[in-house]
Parts: sequence; C-alpha cells; structure tokens
Amino acid sequence: MTLELELQTLWAALVFYVLAGTVAIFGVVLQRKPERTVLGLLLAGLALQTLSIAFRWDRLGHGPYITMYEILLSNIWSLLTVYVIAYWRIPQIRATAAVVMPILFVMMGWLLMTSPNAGHLPATYHTVWLFIHIGFGKIFLGTVLVAVGISGIILLRQSRYGAGRFTRMPNDDRLDELSFRFMAIGLIFDTLMLIAGAIWAQDAWGRYWNWDPLETWAFLTWLFVAFSLHARFTYKTTPRTGALMVLGVFVLAFLTFFGVPFISPSPHKGAV
Amino acid sequence: MEQPDPLRNAPLQGILWQLLDILASLKFTLLIIVALAAGVIVAYTSKTQATWALVVPLAACAVNLAATVMTNPVFRRQTPLLIFHLALIAIVLLVAIGRLTYLKGQLELAEGEVFDGQLTQEESGPWHPRKLSELQFSNEGFTVSYAKGMRRGDTRNQVAWTDTEGRVHREVIGDQDALILAGYRFYTSFNKGYAPAFIWQPNSGGSPMLGTVHLPAYPLHEYKQSLEWTPPGSRMPLWIMLQFDEVILDPERPSEFRLPSQHRIIVREGEVRHELKSGESVRLADGVLVYDGLHSWMGYTVFYDFTLPWLLAAGMLAVLSLALHFWKKFSVRPWDKD
Ligand code: HEM
Repeated sequence: MTLELELQTLWAALVFYVLAGTVAIFGVVLQRKPERTVLGLLLAGLALQTLSIAFRWDRLGHGPYITMYEILLSNIWSLLTVYVIAYWRIPQIRATAAVVMPILFVMMGWLLMTSPNAGHLPATYHTVWLFIHIGFGKIFLGTVLVAVGISGIILLRQSRYGAGRFTRMPNDDRLDELSFRFMAIGLIFDTLMLIAGAIWAQDAWGRYWNWDPLETWAFLTWLFVAFSLHARFTYKTTPRTGALMVLGVFVLAFLTFFGVPFISPSPHKGAV
Repeated sequence: MEQPDPLRNAPLQGILWQLLDILASLKFTLLIIVALAAGVIVAYTSKTQATWALVVPLAACAVNLAATVMTNPVFRRQTPLLIFHLALIAIVLLVAIGRLTYLKGQLELAEGEVFDGQLTQEESGPWHPRKLSELQFSNEGFTVSYAKGMRRGDTRNQVAWTDTEGRVHREVIGDQDALILAGYRFYTSFNKGYAPAFIWQPNSGGSPMLGTVHLPAYPLHEYKQSLEWTPPGSRMPLWIMLQFDEVILDPERPSEFRLPSQHRIIVREGEVRHELKSGESVRLADGVLVYDGLHSWMGYTVFYDFTLPWLLAAGMLAVLSLALHFWKKFSVRPWDKD
C-alpha cells in the first residue's frame, strides 16, 4: 500500500463527512429531518476512513498514535464512531450533528495541514496498555463530544436565531439530563484512562504518576468533570450553566489531547 | 421524602452536629475540588517543593467526605456511590502511605557482577523499610537493539537470583519488565556502557583485586570513553580510555549494542602512556595493573512502593462502583424517550 492510496481514501472519507455535515446543517436551517441521509453519509465516510487507517497500519506496521497527523486521524475516527453510535441509538438528539460536524471539520482541516510522514515508534509503545489507555481516552473524548453536541443545542435555543428551530427536540431540562449522562459515562472512561495510563507509566518509566505536563492536564480535566457533576446537584444549575460547563470540560480535554503533547517535550512522548 | 435521622437525636447534639453539617457541606466539596486543581497548578509550576498545595486540599477532602458519609442520607440510599467515594479516599490515603514508604534509586552492575545493596543515587520516604541489602541478583549480560537513526529499541537483560530455598532463577528483564524481589522493582535503563576489568596487584602486598571500571554511558558519551580512576590503596590517579575504530551503532541501519571486536585500553599515569590489550599488564608506581578484558555495564533503576497493588484495587473498585451507580440511575428512565 502506498501513501498515495492511503491519502486518496482519506480524501474520499472527508468528502463524505463534509457532505454529512452540510446536509445536517441544511436540515436545521430548512427545518427538515434528513437523518437517514446523514447517517448513511457518516457510515460511508467511516468505512473509507477505516480503510485508509488500515492501509497506513499495514504499511508502517504500527497503529496511528505517534505523530500529530496520526493522533488527529485516529481521533477523528474514534470521535465519529462514538458519535455515530449515539446518533443511531438516540434519535432524539440527531439534530446535534449540526453542532458536532463543524467541530470535526476544524480537526479535519488541521489534519490536512499536518505532515502524513511516518514517525518513530518508541520502545515503550510495545505493550497492550497502549491500546487500553488510548482506547479509554478516545471513548472519553467521544462521549464528551456527544454532550457538547447536546449542549450546543441548549445554547443555540437561547439565541434569537435558534429559538424556534429545535422545537422537535426534547426540552432543555431533558437535554441537560441527557448531556450529563454522557458526561457520566465520560467520567468512567476518563478514570479508566488514568488508571491504565498509570499502569503503563509504571511499566514504561518505573513510576505510576509523575505530574508530567500531560498527566497534570489530564488530572485537571478529570477534576473539572467531577466539579461539573457536583456543581450540577449542589446548585441545581440551569441547563445553560450545565451546557457551559460541558463546553469547558471539552475545551480542557481537547487541549490535553492535542495541545499539551506537542507544546511540551515531556517524557510522556516515550521516545528516549 | 427525607427520613428523620435517628443519629441527630443522640445526646451529642447541638454545636457538634452543626459543625459536622458545615464540614459536610457540598459547597465545601466544590471549593475543595477547585482548591485541589489550584494546588496541582501550584505544585506543577512551583520551582520548589510544594507538596502542601496538594496535601491541604486532599486532607480537607477526606474530612469533608467523612462528614458527608456520616450525615448525608444520599450515601445511605446509594451504596455504590458511597463505595465510589470511599475508594477515592482510600486512593488518597494509599498515595500518602506510598509517599512515606517508597524508594526510588539507581545502580550499576557490570556483566557478571552481583548486586550487593549499594545504590548510586536514591530518594525515599521517611518510613521506607530498608530491605534492599538483603537482596541479591546478578547481571548476566544484555542486548539493546537500535533502529535506523540510532533510535533505542528493546533492552533484554538476563539476570539471575537465588530464592530462600537456594534455587537459582533466571529471568530476562527490560526497561518495561521489572525483576521484582521483595517488592523492589528493578528495571534496565538507557544508562549503560563499557566496563574494562582490571586485576590490581598492589606493591604493598596482599591478594590481587579484580574489579571493573564503568566508563561513561554509551552511546550518550560516545566520544568521551575515558575516566580518571585510582586503584584501591594507590596514591596515583590513573586516566583510563577505551579506543576502538569500528562503528557499533550505525545511524544508517538497524544495529545492536555490543562489545567492539577489537579494542585497546590506554592507561596514563602522569605523563606516561601505556596501551594494553586483553591479558597484558603494566607496572605502575604503586603496583601491577593487568587488563582482564572488556565487559558491559548496565544502569538499573529500582522502585519500591508496596501500595501499588492496593492502589490498583482501589482504582478498580472506584470505577466499578461508579459504573454501577450510573447504571442504576440511568436504567430508571430510558435514553430515547421523554
Ligand atoms: C471531596 C469530597 C466529596 C464529597 C463530600 C462528595 C459528596 C458527594 C455526594 C453527597 C454526592 C451525592 C449527591 C446527590 O446525589 O445528591 C456525590 C455524588 C457524586 N460525586 Fe462526589 N463528593 C466528593 C468528591 C468527589 C470527587 C473527587 C469526585 C470525582 C470524580 C466525585 C464524583 C461524584 C460523582 C460522579 C457523583 C454522582 C453524580 C451523579 O449521580 O450525577 N465526588 N458526591
């Protein structure tokens, strides 16, 4: 498999994603429900992207978790996989695609600007803990993304433009409840990610926790999730406040996943 | 419906309960979480030790939680949630115990050498139980693979140790596979190099001594394979250098750390320079130095923290009880209906 074939398949996948997002946004604007089309386009995109990742994996002999390109690539895939499952299982929240897809478009644009060249696989990556740790992290981010989609609807509804648009969706209280269900699942997987990461760090570097920049930010993210869940029942927060807290968690998690590892040359990158 | 709490009618009423109520306030919990986040940032950015920034909020967290467990009826109704929070406290306590009893250190062993409890560097908690000197294992040689571009790959180091019944065990360890003896975890590290072995026969008499000199780490100090060394009992420091021409780790292709096939040892005493091959000897001011051949040495890290399995158990308990809590909570009402 060549890099060219891999990139062509990726481009095809991105075209389907962009179509899916566009249809979803027009659905909201025109007050239609093109839900089956959106689901079909997303699944087609996912199938092609899976193929593209498989080509790369086969060619390089390791999974997409070393370079920025690979990390973006695999996260777009995993975020969409989690989102598609939620989209398929919970028809009530399907209008969130109009919020979620633009966020993914930003990541796709970023992906296209990074170099797809291969990186070096550090010795510390030859372990199943890699897959367990990264897998849990990806599910965590995916569930928070679903919560962000729902929170986006809550916030849009408060704007003049959005006020009359999402009438067929459940009311704000119900949406708030749903979005915090996803935050709750997110917390479980975030906790699992930290535990698996600690086990891996113990094996890889002989210490389970060292407050390196990535660990520190990941822990702050975890604390913020705990804070938002607690604030919600302590202060009986409004759906709007809940939605803003969800966005806050997402921004922090996003910075942790895609910002910290590339700003700071921490031992977490593994290559010595 | 709120049940009247029988505990509140106990004789110790009044002020004590009010205090407990304040300590058990969930607003206090939010404040603690914020304080903990701030503490993490302080501890992380501070140049000096700032353990207090974590210890204070964590202690407050334990007090707050203990008070809540005693007073808040939510925890009596929702056992999994209670277990989750207790597991969190258990983790905090275990980490604290771990910090008081841990040990982290470094040591070096030449091939064939036996560990005798000596560390080259260490840090440990004040209550660390010193059992290190009772342990023994020997380094039986290692390989380290390098990918193109001199990227270090796997280290495979054979070690041997004898159990209490006198049986000899052999094991291959690496950077990620520890040798675990009495709770101490020994890992190999990037720190390794060449170790020429010498026999030193002092002029003052006594039996000859065999020992190795650990040259600076290779390939980290590839161009500085020399060292000043004073033989035991001698007054004259020697300058020792390893010389070889072949390329051991080739940036252009995959390679492996190994001993050079041909090499010589330069020994300088003052202004006088000697060149030695394996088996050759030289008479120096204070004795005779025999060069006995080249070995490798490995730098190990050792880590001791007996709380590790307990921490893992508490972590798993936290996740399982959290999952159970949400499972019960969410199954009351379906996901996709109003
Ligand atoms: C510092 C002391 C803490 C205290 C006193 C405390 C107390 C409580 C109480 C009383 C509840 C039940 C509230 C209700 O359902 O009405 C609760 C729920 C919860 N707490 Fe804590 N908590 C603490 C720290 C934490 C931390 C650090 C986390 C970390 C993740 C956490 C996560 C949760 C979760 C996930 C729930 C369930 C929320 C839900 O059911 O939606 N708590 N806590």
